[in-house]
Amino acid sequence: MIPFDLAEPTSLAAAVKLLDPDDATIRPIAGGTALMLMMKAGVFRPEKLISLRKIESKYSGVSVGADGLRIGAMTTLSALERSADVRKNAPVITRTLLTLSNIRVRNVATVGGALAHGDPHMDLPPVLMALGATLTVIGPKGERKLAVEDLFAGYYETVLEKNELIAEVHVPAQGTKKASYFKVTTGSADDWPALGVAAVIEGDGKAIKSARIVASAATDKATRLKSAEAVLNGKTVDDKLLREAGEAALQDCEFIADVRGSVPYKRELMKVYVRRAIREALGGGTH
Amino acid sequence: MTAARTITFKLNGAPVTADVKPHHNLVELLQTHFGLTGARESCGQGLCGCCTVVVNGKAVSGCLYLALFVDGAEVTTVESLDTRDKLSPVQEAFVEASAFQCGYCTPGFIMMVTQLLDENPDPSDDQIRHYLTGNLCRCATYPEVMDAVKLAAKKRKAGATA
Repeated sequence: MIPFDLAEPTSLAAAVKLLDPDDATIRPIAGGTALMLMMKAGVFRPEKLISLRKIESKYSGVSVGADGLRIGAMTTLSALERSADVRKNAPVITRTLLTLSNIRVRNVATVGGALAHGDPHMDLPPVLMALGATLTVIGPKGERKLAVEDLFAGYYETVLEKNELIAEVHVPAQGTKKASYFKVTTGSADDWPALGVAAVIEGDGKAIKSARIVASAATDKATRLKSAEAVLNGKTVDDKLLREAGEAALQDCEFIADVRGSVPYKRELMKVYVRRAIREALGGGTH
Repeated sequence: MTAARTITFKLNGAPVTADVKPHHNLVELLQTHFGLTGARESCGQGLCGCCTVVVNGKAVSGCLYLALFVDGAEVTTVESLDTRDKLSPVQEAFVEASAFQCGYCTPGFIMMVTQLLDENPDPSDDQIRHYLTGNLCRCATYPEVMDAVKLAAKKRKAGATA
C-alpha cells in the first residue's frame, strides 16, 4: 500500500474536527476491512486516515429500550451477531450476519463502516432500511438524524458530508412485523451477493397492511421498492399478487451488471426473490 | 508525514515493542520485525484465512489489519501453540488426519479451528463448515480437515479429563 499518515483521536468530536469537508484525501477508518481492500487495489489513496477505534466506548455496543435498539456505530458485526437484544428484537439482523463475509471480517468490520462505505453489495444496508432504521450523524455543527433510506446517493456514494460521521443506528421497535432477507449468491453462501432483498411486513395472516421492501447488490445502491410495496399494501397475498409485486419492483431499480450477473439475469432474480422474500416474511419467523 | 511510530503489545505472551509505519499491515509486522512467518498473505482480501492472527481473543485477517492497531493489544500467532517437543491437540490432529498437502493454508486453519473449539468444544458438521467458510485450501483437503476438527475435539476432551 502507498504510505499514509494515521491519527487516532480519543473522541468522536475530535475525529470530526480532524476531517476536512474539502479534502477527500483525509478520510475516517473504523474496522478498515473494506478500506484496506481499496487501498491495496490503489483505488483509494488517502494522505491521512482518522482512526475511530479509540473514540469513546459508548459508540460500541447495543442497548434496547421501549422504542427499539440503539447500536453504536463502532459495534463490530460479530458483537451485533452475538447480541441477545438484537436476536430478540430484530432477529432478521442476526440471521443476515451469519453469512455476511466470514468470522474474521465480522470480528473487525463495524456497523457504521458497513453503512458509510456506500457499497451496494453489503447485506446490512437493505435490512436496516427495510426495518426503518435511522442514524444519528455527528458533524461540526452538532448532530442530525438521517433515515438509512436517505443515506445512499449512488454507487459507493452517501449523502454524508466529508466531515460527518455516523454515531449511532436506531432500529425502531418492530411490534408484530415480520421480516426476511434473501442474499442471493452465485458462488458460495458467504460470497458477495448478486442480489439482496429484504422485506418487513405488517399484516394479519396473508393480509398486508404495510410492506417495506428493499433491494441491493443488483442495483447501484440499496433501493426501496416502492412500486412493489404499492402493489401489496392493503391486499391479501396470492400468487398473482406476488407476481405483480415482482414485476413492479423492476420499475424502482437501476440495475448494474458485474461478475455476478448481467442486467437481464438480475432482473429475473429480482422478480423471483421479491416474491420469495414476501412469502418468507409472511410465513417465517417474526421480525 | 508518514513517520514510524513505536508501539508496545504482547506477542504470544511476551511484551514487545516495534517501530511501525501506518501503512504496514499486521502480517508485515510479524514477518519483518519478529520473523514469524506462520501468518502469511495469500489472497490479500480476507477471504482465504492464511493470514489468521488472534488479537485480544478474536481472530482477524492479518492482511487487512493495520499493524498500528495492535498497539496495547494481546497478539497470538500459530507459533504460540506448540511447545519444544509437543504439538497442540489441533496440530496433532491435522498431522494424523493428513489434513493438508502443500501446507500453505494450514497455520490459518489451525488458528481458526483452535478458536472454534475454544468457543464450541463439540461442533456439528454444519457448525464446522460455517466457522471455516473463510478458510480456503487450494489442495482441497476439506474432507480431511473435517476429520481433523473432530479428532482435535476428541483429543482436547481427553486432555481436559486426563
